[in-house]
Parts: sequence; structure tokens; C-alpha cells
Amino acid sequence: MKKWVPIASGLLAGFVAATITFADFSKSTNNQVASGNTKSDAEKVYVPFGEKDDYYLFASGGHSGQMFIYGVPSMRHIRTVPVFSPDSATGYGFDEHTKKLMGDYNWGDLHHPAFSETNGDYDGKYMFATDVGNSRAAAMDLETFTVKDIINVPNTSGPHCAAFVTENTEYMFLPTRFAVPIGSEYKSLDEYSQQYRGVMSAVTFDQDKDKLNVAYQVALPPWSYDLSDAGKKESGDWAVMTTYNTEEATTNLEINASQADRDFIVLFNWKELEKMVADGQYDEVTGQKMIFPEKHKGGIYLVPVAKSPHGVDVTPDGKHFIASGKLAPSMTVFSFEKAFEAVKNQEFSGERNGIPILKYESVMEREVNPENALGPLHTQFDDKGMAYTTMFISSEIVKWDPKTGETLDRVPVQYSPGHSVAAEGDTVAPDGKWLIALNKIAKDSYLSVGPSHPESMQLIDISGKMKVIQSSPVNPEPHYAQIIKADKIKTIEVYPKDENNKLATYKQDEARIERNGNEVHVYGIAMRSKFIFDAKAKRPDVIEVNQGDKVFIHLTNTDFDEDITHGFAINQYDLNIEVQPGQTNTIEFTADKAGTFPLYCTNFCSALHQEMTGYFLVKPKN
Amino acid sequence: MKGKKLSLVSSLLLALSALLIVASVFFPYWKMVFFAPQYPEGLNIIVFPNKLEGEIDIVNGLNHYIGMENFSAENFPELNYLLYIMIGLAVITLLTAIIRKKAMLYGVIGLFGILGILGVYDLSRALKKFGTNLDPMAPIKIDPFVPPILGHNTVANFVTESMLGYGTYFLIAAFILLLIPLWKDRKR
Repeated sequence: MKKWVPIASGLLAGFVAATITFADFSKSTNNQVASGNTKSDAEKVYVPFGEKDDYYLFASGGHSGQMFIYGVPSMRHIRTVPVFSPDSATGYGFDEHTKKLMGDYNWGDLHHPAFSETNGDYDGKYMFATDVGNSRAAAMDLETFTVKDIINVPNTSGPHCAAFVTENTEYMFLPTRFAVPIGSEYKSLDEYSQQYRGVMSAVTFDQDKDKLNVAYQVALPPWSYDLSDAGKKESGDWAVMTTYNTEEATTNLEINASQADRDFIVLFNWKELEKMVADGQYDEVTGQKMIFPEKHKGGIYLVPVAKSPHGVDVTPDGKHFIASGKLAPSMTVFSFEKAFEAVKNQEFSGERNGIPILKYESVMEREVNPENALGPLHTQFDDKGMAYTTMFISSEIVKWDPKTGETLDRVPVQYSPGHSVAAEGDTVAPDGKWLIALNKIAKDSYLSVGPSHPESMQLIDISGKMKVIQSSPVNPEPHYAQIIKADKIKTIEVYPKDENNKLATYKQDEARIERNGNEVHVYGIAMRSKFIFDAKAKRPDVIEVNQGDKVFIHLTNTDFDEDITHGFAINQYDLNIEVQPGQTNTIEFTADKAGTFPLYCTNFCSALHQEMTGYFLVKPKN
Repeated sequence: MKGKKLSLVSSLLLALSALLIVASVFFPYWKMVFFAPQYPEGLNIIVFPNKLEGEIDIVNGLNHYIGMENFSAENFPELNYLLYIMIGLAVITLLTAIIRKKAMLYGVIGLFGILGILGVYDLSRALKKFGTNLDPMAPIKIDPFVPPILGHNTVANFVTESMLGYGTYFLIAAFILLLIPLWKDRKR
């Protein structure tokens, strides 16, 4: 009896079926992590090919109008994202969407970047930035690292004191550096104190529609508002910002705005302001809901502070705010709790422009004055709540304990750090590990490129005693930066097909050129390695129009493949756009020059990229 | 004919075989993975009984450089009816399990074998057609080639790896289950 044969065969068949159904055939991964404390400085910053950095650094590009994306700890420059300035490399400011975003501006001064937040922690969805040069604010989508919206902020001129977002990205506040009359109207500087205002805007961002909007504004006194931070946790409804030129000087500010011993920190409750607006406590001016503090009382207070402070930063626990003296060689730790108490008890020492002034002594907790540390500008925090303050004049970073005021460590940097940025260092939960000094002066740090120098970013290991372990040149000019854990950002590699997009063409045989009067619409395809503008034409890669025609080219990249971006340029027509994988992009222009103009793919795409060309023929008007 | 009835156990095995055939259609039958320096992660052509999956458009986009025809459902009419053939096979197998006639089992095994051979023939014909019928106008001229049904092959910068899918393994298991009753209910 060989009964075992069917049984064994049956079992075998069963096992085969079970194995292929349930077994995990994927290769087992072996994550070996080298022990961190035995690494040399070089090993700490070395990220071998195939591995990636732990953090993204988003450094503001200052008057380049751009944002620079670096990897940390390698300090490798990964990408430059244009925000307020056109960029031919990406077609930014050339295609229809970004041309509209640019408005009539050709540059911007990107100052302080801020991530969107959920519960006071970065959520990795959006990056906001402000333009001090032309008074704008922008929102960048972190799925694609592209700017979705830019808003012109009226009544404000130079939102330096921004952007900071509230704990759940309810608002992005834009206080201003320069005071101007409402509507930027002409008014004599002799009437500065009466007619000029430092208007702050409360801007919201609609994440579904990718739209920025000014919710309301506050006509603060005509002072300069320098830096700011939103409260956290128990102080989550509040925000603070520093002021200078409370002297209201109108010329030679270097001297005249540095006379008073004290300027102010503006402390305001945005929930209260929001409620005032909801209750109609505002005036409608220039189409904006404007709160005038002298008329619409409440929600705003002044805290005296040593003169001309720069940064004001809220501790991760939300209990304190720290002003950096700039012209006073000290940091001042203020207590939110004490401030709330003082507000409740109305412990005011007077008022300016109708805004109550809290007594310094009743809000101040301690003054911290590390020996010979000069020009404190801005403070970041680590995972233990320790503070790191940049010293612009003495060119160093000082680590100190906000709870005791004790100086713990200091390290020289080269040279003159403005801001610094720690890993998630302005959130409710900083990571520690890394701090980057954003130095204003590089001087002799790198190979010389002549009289104009790059700026310098120095990576400091703050896991033990502070040590500068890497130095990276950077284009002008990081004012502030944000460091976010890399796994919080979820990018897409390819734009998904959007069947509802009437401008998109995904099927080659549907590529076509439609004429409507003197408007010519091209629904074209870019693919490795050709253009198809008119599938039925004798030469599908040729566009022929009449001089004076208005030309719309809607180009879809049908290579749904990672990093296969196509460019599109027409010789002598001063235009170039980019179509990312799966994307449809439109360019609009008037064919005002008659003649023969080659067109080609500008973004190297394939072995036959050089052949990815065509002609743009413009028949002359007789 | 009366004496040639299959045992109950055999009948159950046949029913299980029918089940495996049905299960197989939800899994790929065959696939080819393309590797290149720029594509270390591999590009897939995955053949299901009723559809193609994987990065077909990308593979087609690249293959046009050597003048290869597009892989598409249109080029594989088999995909329109293979699913029904498999379901039919499962139904016949199930009927055999119910009717329990040995002669019918022989028929099913024969049919299964013929379909298997046809399948292999069809695939090798397709591979030959795609590999040898290259457009003479193609920008990059390469010698015609025939990738194997199993195993790897090198064409220009691409290394292809062909392998059976889980569905085929299910079919093999189903076939083994068909053979067991032959042994079990052999003439005593």
C-alpha cells in the first residue's frame, strides 16, 4: 500500500500554494547602524551614495528671491526653488501660472521661511515665505517643492517681521519693517507719527484651493517690527514681536532709532483679534478689515525691552519668550504666565498709541548676560530646552540655560552669524543634534571668487560639546532657515494623470493645433524624444502661425517616469518652460516676430534629446 | 463504464484543483523585469490572464528607440479570452470532481496539458515576434533577439529577467492535484 504517495503529493501541492500565497519573497533588509559616538567629524557629515541625509534644510535666499534646499548633515545643496524671482532653469515666471504669480515683479527679498504646523510641530505640508522687497507672501507645496500661490499684501511695506505661523497654521502673521501711510499714499514725513502705520497682516492659507488670503490687518504704531514668534501650548493663542525705532525717527535711523533705552515687544492674542473682527470691531480701509488699536481696544499689549532687540523666540514648552538684545549685550527671558497675570490685573505703566504697556518688572524673569558676548540676535532650542543664541558682533554661538541663565558652552563661527537654525529648533519638540550658523560674512573661508563673496553656513554638532564640523558656501543670502526631519516630507515623483484637465493631452493621436480667429491653441505632447503638436500633420513637431497671432501652447509631458523632465524653448522668443513628468504646462505669447525659429527641448531628457527639436514658423503680415 | 468511478478523496482533490485554477487568475502568470544603470529598481511587464501591468508605458517609451512594437492589450488578443478559458477549465475540472468519471479525468488532464503547451508556444511566439520584428527606421539599430521565457538576457544597456508568476505556480499545483487521483485510483 503506497498510500503516502497521494498524501505526500497533496501536502506538497498545498505547501506550494500556501508558500506562494503567504511567504514574503522580498529580500530581508539588514539595517546596520554604526555607533554614532565613535564617528570622526568627517564621518559624521559623510553620506555615502545610496544613503540620504536625515534632514532637509530650507534656507531663505534673501535678495535672490529663492529658497535653497540642502541636506543635513552632508550640507550638500540639493535644489534651488525659485519663489519671488523668475528662474529660466525651471521656467518659473515664464509659464502662465508662475507668470501670474510673479505679477509685474522681477525680484524679491525672501526673508524668513516658516513650515506649516500641526500642534506646534512641523507637518511637512507647506513652506511659507515673505518678500521684504515687494511686500508679498508665498506658499510652497512640499509634495512638489513648487510655489502654489503668492499674495500682495496691501498697506504693508516690507514684512521682515514674518513669517510665523500659529500652532495649527490658522494664521501666518506679517508684521512690517517699514511704516507707510495706509494704502502707501503720499504723505509728508513730517506727519510720520500721525499718518504712518506699521500695518500687520493676518494671512490665511486655504489648503484645498492653494490660496492665500488676508483675513484682517492691524494698524500698529509707525515703528519698525523686526522679528516674531507664535506662542506654543499654553501660550498658543498669543504671539510676540520685537520693535525698534519706537523713537519714530524719519531719517538716519542708525543713530536716531537707537536713542531710547527701551523699545517694546508687542504681545498680542490672535484669538482675541479674530473675535474682534468677527464682532465687527474694525474699520474697512482699502478693502481690508483694519483694527486700529487706539480705537478697537483689547488683545494687544506692549512689554518694555532693552533697546532695539532683534529676535524674540518662544521656548519649546511655551512658557517663556526670549528677546535678543542686538544693541544691548544681553538676552531677556520673559514669562508668559507673568504677562497673563499682569494683563489680568491691569498692571500697566502707561500706554503708547492707545496700547497698554505692561510693567517690565512684572513680566521679566531674568536678564542673561554672558561675558563679552556681543550682539545677540536670535535664539534656537534643543531637545532639552537649552537655548542657542547667535552673537553677531562677537561671532559666536552661546549655549545657555533659560531656566537659570547659566552659560553652558560657546563656539566661535566665521563670521558674524545672523540667525541660526537647529533641527526643528523652533517647534514644541526640537530634535537637538544639529545647529547651523547662518553667517553673514564668509570672507576668507573659501576659494576666492573675487570681491563678491558667498555667505557661509556652518554645521555645528550640538550632541555634546559644540563643535563646528562642516562649512558650506551658500548664495546670498540666508536670513533664517528651517530644518525638518526628512521623513516628514512626502514628495511625488510624477504628476498623476488628470482626465478633467482640458488643457492636457495624454494620447499621441489627440495632439492638435486649434485656431480661433487670431488665437492659436496648441495641445501638444513632449515625450522621449520628440514633440507632437499636431498628430495629423506632415510634420507633427512644427507650429506654424501668422505674425501677430496670440499663441497658447499647452504642453503635456507624457513620460510618467521619475526625473524625465522636458523643457521647451523657442529661439529668439525669450521664453523657456519646464514640463515635469506627467505635468501639463501652458505658455502664452504673441508671435510678434515673423520668421523661422527653431524650438527645442532644453532639459536633457534622453540619448536623443539633441534630436528633440522642431520649428516655429511665423508667416509675415504683408 | 460503471467500475471506473473516482474515489471521494480524488473527487475532493479535483475540486481543490478547480479552486486553485480559479485562484490563479488573480495572480500574474508571467513577468519580465528590465534592469538598466538608470533603472536599478527595475521596470516590470507583468502578464495576468486578462491584462498587462507594470511600467508598460515607460518600457514602450524606451523600446521605441530600438524599434520594438508597443506592448499593449491590443497586441495580445489572448488577454481577451484567456480568462474565460481558465474559468472554463476550472468548471470542467469541477464537473469531473462531481461526476467522478475516470475517463473524464483523462480528458481534463489532456486538455490541461494541451493548454499548457499552447500557452508556452504563444509566449515564445510573442517574444520572438517582439524581439525580431524591429522597425528598420529605429534610431538605434540592434540585432534581432529572442528573450527566453525563463532566465535573463542582455540587450544593449538592459538586462531582462523573465520569470513565472504566482498564477502559474498555482496552475502547476492544480495540475499535480489532477495527477494524484490517477495514482490513488489506479487499477488494483
